[in-house]
Amino acid sequence: MTEFSRRTVLMGTAAATAAATVPAVHVQAAAPAAGKQAPGFYRYKLGDSEVTVVTDGATTFPLPDTFVTNAKKDEVNGALAAAYMEKDKMTIPYSPIVVNTGSKLVVMDTGTGEANFERSKGAAGQFHGNLKAAGIDRNAVDLVIISHFHGDHINGLLTPDNKPSFANAEILVPSTEWKYFMDDGEMNKQTTPRMKEVFANARRVFDALGRKVTPYEPGKEVAPGITAVATYGHTPGHNSYVVASGNSKVYVQADVTNHPALFARNPGWHAFFDQDPAMAEETRRKVYDMLVAEKMMVQGFHYPFPSIAHIEKAGNGYREVPMPWNPVI
Amino acid sequence: MIERAQNEGNVMTELSRRTMLSGVAAAALAPAIMSGLADAATPRAGKQAPGFYRYKVGDIEVTVVTDGANTFKFNDDHVSNKNRGEINAPLITAYYQPDLLTTPYNPIVVNTGGKLIVFDTGTSETAYESTKGNTGQFQLNLKAAGIDRSAVDTVVISHFHGDHINGLLTPDNKRAFPNAEILVPATEWKYFMDDGEMSRAPKGRMETVFKNLRRVFDVLERKVTQYESGKEIAPGVTSVATPGHTPGHQSHIIASGNSKVFVQGDVTHVPWLFARNPDWHAFYDQDGKLAEETRRKVYDMLVAEKMPVQGFHYPFPALAYVERAGNGYREVPVPWNPVL
Repeated sequence: MTEFSRRTVLMGTAAATAAATVPAVHVQAAAPAAGKQAPGFYRYKLGDSEVTVVTDGATTFPLPDTFVTNAKKDEVNGALAAAYMEKDKMTIPYSPIVVNTGSKLVVMDTGTGEANFERSKGAAGQFHGNLKAAGIDRNAVDLVIISHFHGDHINGLLTPDNKPSFANAEILVPSTEWKYFMDDGEMNKQTTPRMKEVFANARRVFDALGRKVTPYEPGKEVAPGITAVATYGHTPGHNSYVVASGNSKVYVQADVTNHPALFARNPGWHAFFDQDPAMAEETRRKVYDMLVAEKMMVQGFHYPFPSIAHIEKAGNGYREVPMPWNPVI
Repeated sequence: MIERAQNEGNVMTELSRRTMLSGVAAAALAPAIMSGLADAATPRAGKQAPGFYRYKVGDIEVTVVTDGANTFKFNDDHVSNKNRGEINAPLITAYYQPDLLTTPYNPIVVNTGGKLIVFDTGTSETAYESTKGNTGQFQLNLKAAGIDRSAVDTVVISHFHGDHINGLLTPDNKRAFPNAEILVPATEWKYFMDDGEMSRAPKGRMETVFKNLRRVFDVLERKVTQYESGKEIAPGVTSVATPGHTPGHQSHIIASGNSKVFVQGDVTHVPWLFARNPDWHAFYDQDGKLAEETRRKVYDMLVAEKMPVQGFHYPFPALAYVERAGNGYREVPVPWNPVL
């Protein structure tokens, strides 16, 4: 429809031809455009705990032909179009969270790293900038909990000059993940450039930290009210968490799905970065069936900020129902 | 507070879920953590992030600035052609608590490069006090967004309900935007400023609507500029008559380059009730049938043109695409863009 025909449809009156009575006397506004986004943080309460979602930004890149190994590019573009996202492009947001339990200040995953802020021209690597905007002092962080060893989760452990980003924090890592990625035999078995890079990057980061980490086991309370849950597949030791306080709970899924428009909607799709895709799919279906059955909120690292939603069944998979932004906490 | 029924129907225990999800005997191992750390002294922040969000429409910069949200127990006649049970069903589907309605308010500010324009003004700073900060946040969030109210050139009003016009005044009844021209829909002005219409209005709510808008505009000495539908009322901003909710209700299309957004005003109230069920007649739709007809036309157009909608009563940042769903429509929120 043209502008004109739409107007006519909407108005259904002859008023369109009436004369306007609008001003012509104002001088041009001097107010400059702001030119930058609002700080990316959002808070919600969970019983006595306070959660702050702190976005690290997002990366947009041309959609690779094999982004989903068992779906055609056309099908992936179809899912993007259904979500009103541009075709042939993928945007992956990153949303670490900070949990203040009252006794501990806990960072859960760390984003792509401050060094990436420069490299990506500010598109990603925003975590520390937004943390500051949220009034959170990185030196006050007591614990950093890592879900798995991909770069977008661990690179934020280091400053651009390879110092610990959280100087006073204990770093908790999944024991299975640690064992696997620190095993030289496993590293030497890798054949693909990508997997070699994942190993090399994990060691770069943890070596800079003197490998001073505390491994944790799934099924345990790793911090007050935060219980680790083994959700293997995406990586061999990938963990999610139930954060609970009082009667409230949220499921911090990490990478059980990547972007929900593709992988919650199509849990059978195997992203190239799922190391064991069959196991990742099995984990995904179990977790999402549980989220539906329990009506539990999910905090999704790769969901669009603020990355918190309920899940309902839809089509062959699931659809996220984003939590409405609460203007007060 | 937006209370959600997040923990209804817990059928599995923590233990059984953990066991299922971990599928390993590791649960029996001892944790190796939290030994020597002192308690964190870090206090909880206790307050929400400032509620503003920016996006571009071509060369135009839009800043959504929330006024907050109001949560209340709704009356039996909230939707004139549906009963309480029928209203509670979509609330539950959308993970809201039954019997409670949360209404967000989201004015926007548009910088065209030439003009700084506020669209609707929220419930006012006076409401900030009376609601303990739940609503009336617009001026505070405007400040957080770095926008000087004195720099606003134009305020465009969609219709004359209090949550759209009360923010025109400060708590001491001064102009909230001292240097701005106030644009009001000509039809709305003619209808609501007509003493005959006021005398014929039903007592109760409609009488209050008439009295409130005269209170506001009388303080402004009725110095407003009336605008017609179907006109470019500011650079890139075209008014569209969308009557029904009120007699002169207007929406606006903001366009620049190849981009457009439909600023709907109150074509629907909260989408989880009234986009999903376009035939529902809320008590505040003055002409329920006409409002429904307008709603369907607008939403069919939004679907056909894949045009994003900026919804005053959508959850912040209140920007979405619309798709058909069931007997109505479903909003697909535009993902938060961490850069502008």
